[in-house]
Amino acid sequence: MKMSKFYLLLFLLPSLALILIFGIYPVVYNGFLSVKDVTLISYIRGTARDVGPLNYKAILDDPLFWRSLYNTIIFTLLSIVLQMVVGFLLALLFNYEFPLKGFLQALVMIPWVMPIMVSGSFFRWFLSDNGFLNNFLASLNWIQEPVRWISSERLVIYSLTAVNIWLGIPFNFILLYTGMQQIPEELYEGADIDGASGWQKVLHITLPMLRPVIIATFVLGCILTFKVFDLVWIITKGGPGGASHLLSTFSYSLAFDRFQFGKSAAVLILMQIIVVLFVGFSSRIRLEER
Amino acid sequence: MGRKSLFWILVLSLLLAMGSTVFAATSLVFQSYSNPTEQVAQFIQNVLIPELQKKNPDVEVKYVYVPFAEYMSTILQQAISNTLPDLVCLDNPWVPQLIEAGVFQNIKDNVMKDLGKDFWMDFFSGHRLLTSKGEDIYALQVHTNNLAIFYREGFLQKAGVGEPPKTWDELLDVSKKIKENLNLYGLMLYAGADEAGTWQFEPFLWSNGGSLLELDQPEAIEALELVTKMVKEGYTPRDVISLKDQGDETIWFMNGQVAMMINGNWEFGWHLLPEELQKLGDVKVAPFPVPEANMRSAVLPFGGECVGITTGDSEKAKYAWELIRIWFADKLDEYYAKWTGHIPTLASYAAKIANTRPEFKVFIEQAAYALPRPPMGGMAKYPDVSSELALALQRSLTETQTPEVAFQEAAKNIKNMFTPEEYEETKAYVRQILTEVLGRAKGQ
Repeated sequence: MKMSKFYLLLFLLPSLALILIFGIYPVVYNGFLSVKDVTLISYIRGTARDVGPLNYKAILDDPLFWRSLYNTIIFTLLSIVLQMVVGFLLALLFNYEFPLKGFLQALVMIPWVMPIMVSGSFFRWFLSDNGFLNNFLASLNWIQEPVRWISSERLVIYSLTAVNIWLGIPFNFILLYTGMQQIPEELYEGADIDGASGWQKVLHITLPMLRPVIIATFVLGCILTFKVFDLVWIITKGGPGGASHLLSTFSYSLAFDRFQFGKSAAVLILMQIIVVLFVGFSSRIRLEER
Repeated sequence: MGRKSLFWILVLSLLLAMGSTVFAATSLVFQSYSNPTEQVAQFIQNVLIPELQKKNPDVEVKYVYVPFAEYMSTILQQAISNTLPDLVCLDNPWVPQLIEAGVFQNIKDNVMKDLGKDFWMDFFSGHRLLTSKGEDIYALQVHTNNLAIFYREGFLQKAGVGEPPKTWDELLDVSKKIKENLNLYGLMLYAGADEAGTWQFEPFLWSNGGSLLELDQPEAIEALELVTKMVKEGYTPRDVISLKDQGDETIWFMNGQVAMMINGNWEFGWHLLPEELQKLGDVKVAPFPVPEANMRSAVLPFGGECVGITTGDSEKAKYAWELIRIWFADKLDEYYAKWTGHIPTLASYAAKIANTRPEFKVFIEQAAYALPRPPMGGMAKYPDVSSELALALQRSLTETQTPEVAFQEAAKNIKNMFTPEEYEETKAYVRQILTEVLGRAKGQ
């Protein structure tokens, strides 16, 4: 039975409305804000002037924007690569049967279960100059001076990345692990008969069979990591001296510390362009593969 | 029970639930970031609102709590979508922006009629400057606070120091002795990447004659050099840049990890409650250290909350004003004596409270030299200016930049926020205020 177009549209309407109201409208509205001189006062009074590309120019001239962009790229790339590698190795491990497996699997999930507010506050203390990590290293006599994990402008982004990797491992692990369970057992049995070693099985069976899952995990992970905000805001608020700003925290501080909503919107638009380019690029790779 | 009776029960309960809003003559919303269990919120809910309802039994007032971190974004959202509450209590530096944005109603006539001109003039000048524009009055500051040195007398004695530091030189000297003799940090402060970081630096800046609009001048750089030196020498932990808030300082202080801290009088109503003070046994307060020994007081920013009316509905505004009137005309004595860790904004009350609450003496004396923050940094541009300062402060404390370079860069960015004429005008205005207060502080 062929349904009439009217009914098709009717059923699509709720999701279309949702996308329009919560997806498209904010982006378009943000676009309007980004070309206006919107401050707290002009926002409320509705008197913001059009300034054309001036907000974008100001942002591109601001060294903090470039620092944030650099940080965002480092943070995203390192997080994704290391989370996936560790998540994959853990998934391999848990693909075997061993005692206490269920308990240990639950332990692996802990970072994911904890609210970011809790883990973030914990790491702010853990990584501070007088925090647990430095005291621990000092008690082993490994360091004389505290390592400035989050109080050095050079080190801070790497420390935050490490925390994010820890937080993201369960996400990667669970997706890859579920993917691995879908791989037919017969393939491994056949390989065993052919005398393949463990690594050969991983390289020639697990990885190729897992490819779609790996790509999906990668794309999802990139988008989720690219927009991380809470973790950095709780631990450093983008400090010291703006050295750990990601694009997200930079945009937030422009809006709510400085009340520069126009400039903040411009940063968000630039972020959206990057995400769109990235998703377009990655789906192109997937298409080519098919 | 049959379906029919269930239906009627539902209808009835729905009507009852609606009744409170439909049948009450007026219902007001009072919004604040004071947690419902805190003193100020308790006062509003248990003293002010019942008092209003005594004479106006059909007026409902709902106390709504919005956390500090979300407060301004909430107000903004409410203002744009026309869903503002009827009364708002909020941090004073935000007030000039919101007056400018037209969020507050003009309450000049009410103030003059019900409280009188003398009452208005009894507010310290900084509070009047902040809550009014020209002849009009848009809010009233309910209490204030400022910063001083909290110290543990026992630690100072053990370190061989008789007196808390009065000057910058003594601050370095005392901190050095504490570090050498007790292996403790001398001074805790707050230098987070936000307004509170700026707020704690401003007493150093202003007392030395530095201005937010002239950060590249020697007076400002010297102030930054002092704080940087405190961290570099290990007198102040570098962790000051990553504290959650100023309350975190007090945790260090109570744990005995530091002998002195810069903090505000609100701590007496927050962490340093009487039982805690009794447990520690030796907490004292000393005035904020000054650059020159002959100064009477440091020049500091003032903090504290203001209350204003945000409803355009004249009926609601009438009761909203009545609530404010009760606060200021009938309950102010009780409020300051019992309900707050803050100090009065009115000169005559300050004098009274200084006698009944000795822990506030230092803060009350300093209040005469306290300045409102927004006018000192270009009014509406203040949040932007303040952010630049907080960035520079962190860069200097982490030795990313020297104090000189950090402030030169900040000064350049701040200058770019203004047109050249605006900048010169604001700079001169700020300089004039500073000169006046510094003159008084130096006894000239």
